[in-house]
Amino acid sequence: MEAVLRNLRSTAELLAVASLSCEVEQWDKQTLSRAFHWARYCEILFSRFHNNTAIRRTLEKHLQLTNQSLVATFPGYTEVTFSDLSRCQHMLLVGLLNNPELPISITKILFDTGGPINTKQSDYQDVTSFCSRIIQCKSACKVLSPLTGLSAVGADAEVRGLMLMERLEALLSQGGEARSTEHFLDSVLQGREGEAEHFCVVIAAALLTTKDSAAKTASQEFLLDWLQTKNRLLQHMCSALPITHIINLAKEHRKFKDAYYDVLKKWASDMEFSITEGEWVQTSTNQTAMSYCKLTEHFKALFSACPSLREHVENELNALKISDGDFDVSGLSVWGDLLSAINS
Amino acid sequence: MSQLQPQSQLQGSAEEPLLNIQQMQFWLDKAVAWGQAERPDSQKDTCLHLNRLRDFLQRLLTHINCMSSTTETMKTLPFLGQFLGRLCWNPYVTADATGRKLLFQCLWSLYSEHPGNAVERKANQWIQKLFSQLATEEEDVAAQAFMKHMNVPPHEYHLKVLRKMVAMLQENIGKSCSSSSSMNQRCSCDRIQATSEACVPLITCPEAAPLIGALLLQSMTCVRATLSEDFLDALSSAYLSQCLSLEEQAVVSLWYHNLPSLEETVLRLLECAQTNSQSTPQKLEQLLTQSLLPKACAQHCSIFLVVNDIFRSFLKQAEGNEPVKSLIQTFTCCFLRELALQQQQTRVSLKAWFPQSPQRLLVPLLTLPSEMPEDAWRRHLNWLSRSLQRLTEEEEEEEGDEDSSSSASIEGHHTVFEAWFLLVQCAHWLQVAVQLLVTPGPEDGGPLLWLLTFYHHPTNRGHHRAQQLVVEGSGLADEAASLLSSLELKLNGGSCSSGAANRVHLRIKALRNTLTHTQAASSPAENQAHTLTL
Repeated sequence: MEAVLRNLRSTAELLAVASLSCEVEQWDKQTLSRAFHWARYCEILFSRFHNNTAIRRTLEKHLQLTNQSLVATFPGYTEVTFSDLSRCQHMLLVGLLNNPELPISITKILFDTGGPINTKQSDYQDVTSFCSRIIQCKSACKVLSPLTGLSAVGADAEVRGLMLMERLEALLSQGGEARSTEHFLDSVLQGREGEAEHFCVVIAAALLTTKDSAAKTASQEFLLDWLQTKNRLLQHMCSALPITHIINLAKEHRKFKDAYYDVLKKWASDMEFSITEGEWVQTSTNQTAMSYCKLTEHFKALFSACPSLREHVENELNALKISDGDFDVSGLSVWGDLLSAINS
Repeated sequence: MSQLQPQSQLQGSAEEPLLNIQQMQFWLDKAVAWGQAERPDSQKDTCLHLNRLRDFLQRLLTHINCMSSTTETMKTLPFLGQFLGRLCWNPYVTADATGRKLLFQCLWSLYSEHPGNAVERKANQWIQKLFSQLATEEEDVAAQAFMKHMNVPPHEYHLKVLRKMVAMLQENIGKSCSSSSSMNQRCSCDRIQATSEACVPLITCPEAAPLIGALLLQSMTCVRATLSEDFLDALSSAYLSQCLSLEEQAVVSLWYHNLPSLEETVLRLLECAQTNSQSTPQKLEQLLTQSLLPKACAQHCSIFLVVNDIFRSFLKQAEGNEPVKSLIQTFTCCFLRELALQQQQTRVSLKAWFPQSPQRLLVPLLTLPSEMPEDAWRRHLNWLSRSLQRLTEEEEEEEGDEDSSSSASIEGHHTVFEAWFLLVQCAHWLQVAVQLLVTPGPEDGGPLLWLLTFYHHPTNRGHHRAQQLVVEGSGLADEAASLLSSLELKLNGGSCSSGAANRVHLRIKALRNTLTHTQAASSPAENQAHTLTL
C-alpha cells in the first residue's frame, strides 16, 4: 500500500510538472514514455479500486494531501480528484500540449504518423503516435457517421447505452444502496435543457440492449423504475423519439408500455378543443409539446403493436368518453375523438 | 505582408516551379468549400481529390523546407496558415494516414525552433494550439459530459464508438441482399458503391478493416455490389505497400476486381524467385502458399488465366530462366492441389483452365508421377516424348513448306510453345526423366534425353535435335551433375540393398566422369555444341 501511495503522489507531481513547469523542455522520448506509463498505472488503480470504499477513501485522502502541497508549489495548479485518475493519460496529454515550454520534438513523437501502419488493433501501449491514433479514430467516426444514418440509434448513443448498462450492472451487483445508484443515474442522465433529447436516445439504447442475463434484466428494471420518477424526461422521450422506436421499447418492456400509455393519456387529458383552429390543442405550456395529430398517431401505433392492450385501452377510452357525456359529435370529448380516430 | 503579383512563380528547383499561386488558390478554395456544411457532395469531392491533394501537400512540404525561415514562407504563401488549418478540421483528410502525415509535417516545418520575430512567435503559438485542439478538444459537449460522469477516457470512448460504427455498417452489408444475378432487381447492395467511396480515406485505418473486408466479400456475392474505382485503386496501392492486412477472401476479391494489384503480386513473386534462385522447392512452395495466389486461382478461373499469361510473356522473352521455370512448376503443383480441394463440390473441366494447351497432352502431363505406378513411368514418358516430337516436326514441316501461309506456321509455333509451356508447368515429369536416365537399365534413353533437351531448348536452332543429342556446355550438364549428387545423397541415406546401391553408385560415378570430361573438353566459346553418348 505504501508503494501505491508513493506512486500516486509521484504521478500527481508528474501531472503538475507536465502542465506547469518548464522542465518539460528537457523531456525526451524515454521521459515521455515513462510519464504515460505512470498515467496508465493510475488509470488501472482507479479501475481496480473505485468500487472498494475503504481503499478508495485512503487513496482519496492521500491525493488530497498531495494536492495541498502541489497547490503551494505550482501556482495555477488544478486539483486532481480520484475520479480524474480514470482519465489520467488524457489529463497528462492536455497538460503537456498546453504547456508553452513543450519542445516540438515531443509533439512530433506524439503525433507521429509513422511508416508501415500497425495493423494490429490499436492498443495505446506505445506513446509514439498516441495523438495520431486519437485523431485517426475521431476522424474515422466522422467519416462513417453519415453512412450510419439509416439506423434508428446512432453508434455513439448505442455505445453510451452499453456503457451505462455495464456500469449500472456493476453498481447493482455490488449490493450498493439504491439511492447512490439513483444519484449516479441523476448525474449521468440529466443536464442542461438542450441535452434532454440526447439522454432520451441513450436511455432508449440502454433499454434495448439484449437481455442475456438476469443481471442485465435487473439493471434495465432499475433504469425503468428510475425513469418513471422523472416525468419530464419520460415525456420528452415519448415525444422526441421516432414512434417506431418507442413502440420497440414498449414491446420489450411492460413497465415502459404502461408508462408510455400513461403519458399519452396525460397529454390527451390536457387538451382542449379550440374553435378557432378546429382542432384539439394543448392547454398548459408547462409540458412537452405535442399535437393532436401526432397523439393520434401514437395511439394508433400502440394499438396495432400491442394487441393485448387493445381491449383495455378501448374500454378505458370508452369509459372516459361516457364520463364526458357520451356524445358522438367530434370536438366535445377528446376521448371520443381519439376513439374514432383509432378505429378509422 | 507584401502583396504578390498574380503571376508570380515560386521556385522550388532550378527548372520547374514547384508551386504557383493559382494552384494554391485552387486548393484553398477547395478547402473552404469542403469545410462548409457537411453535404454528401463535399464528402465525395474530398475523396475524389484525395490523391491530388496528397501530391500537392508533398510539393508544399518541399517548398516550405526550401525556404530559409517561416517569415519567408509566409511572405510567399500568405494563406498557407488558413489552408493548413482548414484541412486539419477536415476528417476525410485527417483520417487518411498519408494526408495526415503530410499535413503535420507541413505544420512542423513552419514551426521555428528559434523564432526571430513576432510573426514566427505567433505562428509557433498557433501551431501548438492547433495540435492541442486536434488531440484533446471534444466538440460533442454531451459526449464530454458523459465521459466525465462515466469515468471513461476519451480515447477509449472514441475507439469504442468507431468499432461500433464499423460493426453496424458491416452488419448492414448484405443484410437485405436479394442475391439475385439480375442487374434489374433492386437490392440493398446499391449502397455498396457509396459506402466504398466513403471508405477511401479509411483504408489504412486498422479498425475499419472488417468493413473493408466485408465490402470486398459482398462484391463477390452480389452483382449489384459494385465497388468504386477510387476505392479499389487506393486499396491496391495500400496492399502493395504492405500498409494493410486483409483476410484471404478479401485479397482474392481485390485481385479479382483490380488487375494491377494481381499483376503486381505475380511480378513480385517472379522477382523474388529470381533473386533467391538457390531456394529449395519447399521454400518456393511456402512462398507460393503464403502469397495466396494458388488458392485464388483455384477459386477463379479468370485469375488463373491472367497469372499464366504473365508467366507466358515472361518465358517468351527468357526461355532459359531456370528459377522462373521452377516457380511456374511449383505454382502449378500448388494450384492443382488447391483445385482438387475446391473441386470436391463442383467439377469443372480442365479445358477451362488450360484453354490454349494441346488438349491431348493435358491429362497425361497434369497427372502426377505419384498417381501412376512406377513401372509405367518410362512408357508414359516415352509417349510424351514422341507426342511432343510429332508436334515439333509438324511445325518444322510447316516452316519448311514454302507454300504454307504464314498464319499456319504462326499457329504451329503457337502450338509448340503452348505444349512447351505446359511441360514447364508440369516439370515434375522432367525430374522423373532425369531420374530414369541415371538408373541402370537396358532401355534406350533417347526419348528421355530428347524431352530434356526440348525443355531447355524449345526453339530448335540448327535442327540438331532430331539428329543428335545436343548438350550445351553449362546448363544441362550442371543440372545433371547436381541431380546425380542429390541422388547419391539419397542413396547414402536410403535403405537400398548394398549390392544395388553399389551398382548405382558406380553408374553415377561413371556418368559424372563423362560429364566432367565433356565440360572440360568444351571450348569456352558460346554456342558450342557437344555430343554426349550414354
